[in-house]
Formats: sequence, structure tokens, C-alpha cells
Amino acid sequence: MIPVYGFLEGDTIGLLILADEQELLAVTAAKVQVAARLRAALDGPLALFINGRAVEPETTVQQAGLKALDRLDVRRGGAR
Amino acid sequence: MAPDDPDDWIDLCRKLDWEFSYVSERDVFPEVQSGHPWLPASDWADWDEPFRTTYGRYVAQQQEKEASVRAVREAVGGLDDYRQLPAGWLNGLKLHAATLPLAEFAAVIGNLRAARFGRDGAWRGAALFAALDEMRHTQIPLLLMHELVRWDPQFDWTHKFFHTDNWVAIAARHLCDELLLASDAIEFAIATNFVFETGFTNLQFVGLSSLAHGVGDRMFDKMVNSIQTDETRHSQMGAPVLAKIVERDRPYAQYLLDKWFWRSWLLFAVVTGFSMDYLTPLPNRTSSFKEFMQEWVIEQFLQTLGRFGLERPWYWDTFLQGLDHYHHMVYASAYSYRSSVWFNPVLPGPDERAWLRAKYPDSWGDFDPIWERIAARWRESDPGNEFAVHGTAIVSFCDLCQMVLSNGTPRENTASVLDHEGRRYVFCSRPCRWIFEREPERYAGHKDVVKRVLAGEAPGNLLALVRESFGLRHETWGKDAFGGVYPWLQRDRA
Repeated sequence: MIPVYGFLEGDTIGLLILADEQELLAVTAAKVQVAARLRAALDGPLALFINGRAVEPETTVQQAGLKALDRLDVRRGGAR
Repeated sequence: MAPDDPDDWIDLCRKLDWEFSYVSERDVFPEVQSGHPWLPASDWADWDEPFRTTYGRYVAQQQEKEASVRAVREAVGGLDDYRQLPAGWLNGLKLHAATLPLAEFAAVIGNLRAARFGRDGAWRGAALFAALDEMRHTQIPLLLMHELVRWDPQFDWTHKFFHTDNWVAIAARHLCDELLLASDAIEFAIATNFVFETGFTNLQFVGLSSLAHGVGDRMFDKMVNSIQTDETRHSQMGAPVLAKIVERDRPYAQYLLDKWFWRSWLLFAVVTGFSMDYLTPLPNRTSSFKEFMQEWVIEQFLQTLGRFGLERPWYWDTFLQGLDHYHHMVYASAYSYRSSVWFNPVLPGPDERAWLRAKYPDSWGDFDPIWERIAARWRESDPGNEFAVHGTAIVSFCDLCQMVLSNGTPRENTASVLDHEGRRYVFCSRPCRWIFEREPERYAGHKDVVKRVLAGEAPGNLLALVRESFGLRHETWGKDAFGGVYPWLQRDRA
């Protein structure tokens, strides 16, 4: 398991999230959403970023190069 | 010379310096203690401050102040007087009470270093009086709050706070250890006497004193007024030191100013921002935290910069944006992790949120939906069911200020990751990262809460972390100040 800093757009704080190297980034993003849901939620398509670099939700954590204590942003995707 | 008229002889005593014949001046005042830049005594000979106090005058004035505090305490400082204060205000009191006395005690050390290693006799004498001041600033809140412990054990944190590994205590110690215990005499004078006391305690003491008066907390009003009259005196040591450093090493003076303004701002935003915008009952609020900052800090700070020919800190725009966001970001985070603190936060209702929207028209639109969600969760939950309306994930912390990663805005958190000599660090903001990168050897070894968890030095389970590291138990950890029961919050079910 890899500890990463998860940030959900609309939230007020970064959260420590544990990611499995083999899971899809979409799964990790869902963990961020669950951890932040008391304060914020996003509907619709999502856009993900690792340390500011856009990544595809359907790639695995390992394929995307998500490393320990990276910053993972979960943002509103699609047309803004 | 008339010995009963101190004005006739005071300067002979307070400017007591001499040339050394058995040791070098550099050995008596080593740079590591006296500070950078190292200047010969002749360069400091014109150092002066306006109070020019004698020990006799000092003792007489302080005795009067102590008698006045005691009189107010006997009149309105009893348990029954505190019981009548609003719940939100009492919790602001717990927040302030915890962060004040042991920080003041650390300031005794910093002032005593200046009393020994300050480069001019008058500076050293004034620092000695300041050290004595800080002793009473330690003792007064400890004395006043001790009375309340038997009624509410959260007041025990007045003394306990700094002795725990609570996340706020780690952040406060990280600041105070560097500011008050580790700084050399020059950095201490600029950072503590000038930036912290001249700049920020004006806000805290004048602003909060006014609020305390409005709420009816005459004891707190008296306490902060009594402390502020001391701060006013010993803050005067900062300007003459800054003037000298500006003259001899302007970039270093600018760096110290930039660094300590930022670090001080983060602490004050949380401690004072929470109290002014959330914990003070709405009818008693006179101004927002931002308005107080604009009136009491920014205007004065900019005038001072101009007087010394210094520039605004490079992060000034970031700071101004933070006035609209930072304490709101941290308060919403702290409310949703309130079991990790020793006071009970208040859920802002429709009236409070309308007031906040009026005071923060540029930012409140991003915060209102957050409070609406939290209120909605309370509507679905039983009164007092705290953990139904509480975060569960471990939160993350800045490797410089040790505060939660809550800088920037809800739309764009400003945290960033840095790799340095094989270790990974995270910072809440560009200024925190900049401070770290200027002196990494000073900060790199410190572990924030997350690093302690990952190293197995603290539990990874939130409840265990709260109990074992943060030093809280059910009786003392924070809960909603009203148990989630508010007149405006109608529950969906009976």
C-alpha cells in the first residue's frame, strides 16, 4: 500500500490515502471522495492529477507512476 | 546628581558597556548567540528605546498591575462568572488559554538570551525586564484558568497543551521553539519583539480585549490588557535592532521580516481567526478577523516597512488572498476533526453564515456548501452522535509550519511536494516551502504527524492517534459546542 496526499476539489484539507499499486486510479480517487465526503462531493466525470500532471483514471496506480507521498488531485472533469 | 530623580542617572546605568581586555569582544558576544551580522560594540552605541525604565519604576508599575488583576479576579473571576459566558466564547478562551502561557514561558528564555548577548547595555537591560514580563504572562493565565479545571477538564490544557504531541501543539512548538528558544539575539529582536509583538499581538490583545468586553468577560479583558501594556514596552526593542540590520545587511533584514511575518500570520489566523469569526457569539462581533487584520496589522506593517525602506514580502498577494480563506479552511477542517482538539467548536448557522458572506463576499461562496453538507449530516444524525459527523481519514500536515494542509482555496489547495536529500516533504504553501528551502538544515529532521505514523511512532488509527499521541480522552476531546443541537437545525425525523 502506498500512502499519498489526496485533495478533492471543493474540500478544505489534504488527506492521507492508502493506494494499492494494482488498483485503478479511479478506485484511489473514490477513496479520496469517501474520505472527504463530510465536507465536499463532486458529481459527474472526474479529472485526476499527480503532482499537477494529468493522468487517466483507468490506469493503475503503478502504471501512472503514483509514488509514496505524491499529491493526487481529484477534480471536476469534462466541460467546466 | 540627585539619586531620587532617575532621569539624572538612568543613562549611566542602562548604557553600561566597557572595553574588554582579557578576552575578545567576539568571544564575549559570539555571533552564534548574538546574531548576524556581527558588529563591533561601537556600531551599537547609539541603540536606544523610549521607555528607559529603572528597576524601581518597573517593580512599582508591575505591582500596580498585579493588584489590579487581582482585584478584577476577586470581583468577577470566579467559577460562577465563567459559567455565565456564552459556550462559543468559553471555547475560544480554551483555545487561547492553551496557546498562551507556555509560549510566554519560552519567551522568557529568548529574552534572557538577549539580556546576555544583546549588543548594547540598554538592550540587555530592557530584555531583562521583558523576561520578567513573560514570567507574569505565564503565571496569570495559569492562575486564572486553574480555577476552571474542576468545572471543565478541557481547561487543563492551559498547562497540558505544550506537553502533548497534539497536532496543534506540534505546530505551536515548532514555531515557538525556533522563534523563542533557538533564535539568536538579533533574530529574536526582529522576529519576536518586532514582527510578532509589534505586529500581531496588537491584533490579538487589542482586538480580543474589545470582544471580551462586549461578551462580558471582564477577566479576560483585564488579563490581555495587563499583558499588552508589557508587550508595548518590550516590543520597542525590535525597531532599533531592525534599523541597525537594515543599515548593515538589508537582504538579511528583509529575509527575517518575510519569514517571521508569514510564520506569525499562520498561527494568529488560526487562534484569533477562529475566535473572531466563529466562536464569538454573533451579537457580540464588532468586526471580522479580516477587518481586524486590515486595521491593526496590515496598515501598521506597511507603514513600518516604508519607514525602514523595506519591501513588502514577496508573497504579499498570497497573504492577502489568505485573509479571505486560510482560517476558514482550517476551521472547517478542525470542526470536522474536532476530536483532535481540546475545545468545542461551533457549527455556524444561517445567521452566522449570512454574516460571514457579508464580511467575505469574495470567498464565502466556496465555504457555504461545505457547512451546508455538514449541517445536513447533523440533520440525519442523532444529537450528540459526534462521530457520525466527523472525518475518519488521517489528515496531512505541512513539513514547515506543521499545520494541516489547508492553504489556498477549496478550489485550489496550494500544497506542494519536494524531494530533498532522499526524503519527501510536503508544504501547505509557497512561503512555507521557501522558508524550508532557505534553511533546510534547520527543518529537515523534523517529523510531522504523518511521518510519525509512517515511521510507526504514532498510531495510524484516528481514534488511537487522538488518545495516544494527541493526549485526549473522551472527557477532553472536542465535540460540537451544542452537541449538534441548534434551534435552526431541524432534524428530518422525530
